[in-house]
Amino acid sequence: MLDSLSTSLKDALKKLAGKTVVDRAAVDELVKDLQRALLSADVNVKLVMELSKAIRTRSLDEPPPKGMGVREHVLRIVYQELVRLIWTATDVKLEPQTILMAGLQGSGKTTTTAKLARYFQKKGLKVGVICADTFRPGAYDQLVTLCQKINVPCFGNPEANDPLALTRQGLSAFKDLELLIIDTQGRHALEANLIQEIIELNKLTKATHRWLVIDAALGQQASEQARRFHEAIGIDGVIITKMDGTAKGGGALSAVAETKSGIVFIGSGETIEDLDRFDPDGFISRLLGMGDLRALVERAEEAITADAVDVTSMMKGKFTLRDMYQQLEALNKMGPLKQIMSMLPLGNMELPSDVYDVTSTKMVRYRIIMDSMTSIELDDPSLINSSRMQRIAHGAGATLDEVRELLKYYKLMQRTLKGLRGQGGKFNMQRLMKRFSGMQ
Amino acid sequence: MFEGLRERLQTARARIGSSIQAVAAPQKEHGEAPGLPAQPLHSSATFADKVKTFVIDRELIITDSELAGALSDLEIMLLESDVALTVTDAIVGHVKRDLVGSHRRIGQSVDALVVGTLRRALLDVLGKGFDLSEYIRSHERPVKILFTGVNGTGKTTTVAKVGAFLKKQGFTVVIGAGDTYRAGAIEQIDVHAERIGIKIIQHQQGADPSAVLFDAVQYAISHKIDVVLADTAGRLHTKANLMNQLEKIRRVMKPDLIVYVDEAVAGNDAIVRAAEFDKTVGADVVVLTKADMDSRGGAAISIAHTIGKPLMFLGTGQAYDDIMPFSPHAVVEELLGDG
Repeated sequence: MLDSLSTSLKDALKKLAGKTVVDRAAVDELVKDLQRALLSADVNVKLVMELSKAIRTRSLDEPPPKGMGVREHVLRIVYQELVRLIWTATDVKLEPQTILMAGLQGSGKTTTTAKLARYFQKKGLKVGVICADTFRPGAYDQLVTLCQKINVPCFGNPEANDPLALTRQGLSAFKDLELLIIDTQGRHALEANLIQEIIELNKLTKATHRWLVIDAALGQQASEQARRFHEAIGIDGVIITKMDGTAKGGGALSAVAETKSGIVFIGSGETIEDLDRFDPDGFISRLLGMGDLRALVERAEEAITADAVDVTSMMKGKFTLRDMYQQLEALNKMGPLKQIMSMLPLGNMELPSDVYDVTSTKMVRYRIIMDSMTSIELDDPSLINSSRMQRIAHGAGATLDEVRELLKYYKLMQRTLKGLRGQGGKFNMQRLMKRFSGMQ
Repeated sequence: MFEGLRERLQTARARIGSSIQAVAAPQKEHGEAPGLPAQPLHSSATFADKVKTFVIDRELIITDSELAGALSDLEIMLLESDVALTVTDAIVGHVKRDLVGSHRRIGQSVDALVVGTLRRALLDVLGKGFDLSEYIRSHERPVKILFTGVNGTGKTTTVAKVGAFLKKQGFTVVIGAGDTYRAGAIEQIDVHAERIGIKIIQHQQGADPSAVLFDAVQYAISHKIDVVLADTAGRLHTKANLMNQLEKIRRVMKPDLIVYVDEAVAGNDAIVRAAEFDKTVGADVVVLTKADMDSRGGAAISIAHTIGKPLMFLGTGQAYDDIMPFSPHAVVEELLGDG
């Protein structure tokens, strides 16, 4: 996700980190690299120009705060300007509301509608979906099929051809439900009659939110399209879809800047669960080489029951084999390990690929071996010497090598988590600086 | 659809032109001064002719620095028109290579020089077009055409449009509903097929797409149908299992032509995914959809250039006849023409 953008940005910053003195030429070079990085990530040209101008002026004019090197000063400005670029996070309230979906053809509105329904349903709201797309053949069938999978009522009629009348019926049929999502036909800003239609839909539904669905691959057009949609119905949130591809989402960033709204969700897969909350601070941190911790914790909270692993306490430092035992089970519930790992703030620390290779079969082996350990050993793995190892291997019907491998894996996890400590929640600039300095 | 890019290119043309002219004016005077004193030594009948030749056919050398400003303007203009970074580099590089160090004769019009260079650069980048009707006529029937692409680019709609286009050309067509994954996809293409009056072969949702498309091909063979259009489910190029499925489809139905469908509004990622599709299943020709959303048309040029595959059609709207065969020469003329 957004790999290419963050790699090129990191390269640009690395160049600056290599300089001993930050002079005009060095800043110019960084700004030029930043421009190229952002442009190749589809960020709007004008936006890039504004951004680079601000960075250049501020870096050269503002005196660095006391105790901060010139280099760190420039990095901080880059960070601040990038945060400004993607604006603020939009609050998603769990209360009765009506959401109107808008977007270009093929951006993924219908799939996202179902994902959103699932998201709010999981949070305990009574959700209903109205299919106001009377144009595209199969649109109703698609939404109904998806809604049936999650047991959400769906209102629509494949024979109807007046979206306004249909929505009016839907609204009265679903007036007892708490949260309504209205899926609309794909349209683009140059189709005046369709824009008029969505204005009327907006008036009719008195929607609490009007969210614009944007394909992560959308290019320079994003700004223009978002602007027109914003003028028509006042977009107050953007959802980026198809973020599991290689697209960098720069177009969506331009759309956010244009509508002065925030990114509410990102879609990152084909199944109905693949929808994540968006957190701009985390997004930027990740862009600069840090992970998005908050998204992980939110996801973990849903997957893990109360008696399972407490991620926060784990982050605080105590990590024993017993924790790993539970963690392996919990991770299994959360989804593929690699996906979880990609959300952890591992920064530039390259995890050995074998961390990911712990497949479910291996996890079962690990569990059996751990079952042969005493509880003292589980709480304090440093006790395990070669004779204890022999015993464990014998008891679990495993080889000595397997036991050693397990312990190696444990140490690796422990080290990883140690590295994470202290960065949770708040963005830690100091640490980021150190990391960049370390990259030289 | 190319108005935006066209406008910008016209500006670029004027900009480069003026930059060359500005350079040319002072050089003419400098150039003549050292030349003249030498002339009397060769006093002959051809003296007047020589001077004439000297002044008119004298060549000016255009240098790098003289063009720098104009070229960087051209670069920004192309980027703003959604032309991908690498393609922009290619065009700017081409223009620079052609112009810098080139010898311009004083008598030659600056405008012609610039237009010629831009035309060559664009044609170079656009590649060849593709005539589908001609292809079908010259190949053994049934011609099997497989449509691929990422989610939401408009494959199903394109299949319907191409079906309508071919039907109008007098070919018989059958559609294979190979998108068995997305909810509602079979219903969608079913409605399309019914509206344009084309036979469709379909299984249930969740069926093996290879089997559906194999059946479609068998149907075409036994009913002596000219063209099989095979729709497939959209897939992101990062999903290895889905790409493998596509590879299997290719193995089973042995398509004559693989059409890669993408949208004209896609940004730089279009290149990454096109390359990935080309690598896994191959792509013979490209169809760009939603070209009506993009008045600039830069993505069309970029994709055509980067995959190095000819562009077959542009999708320009929601109706069945909103499809435009693509001809590079016509596009370049439209972009650079005076009209």
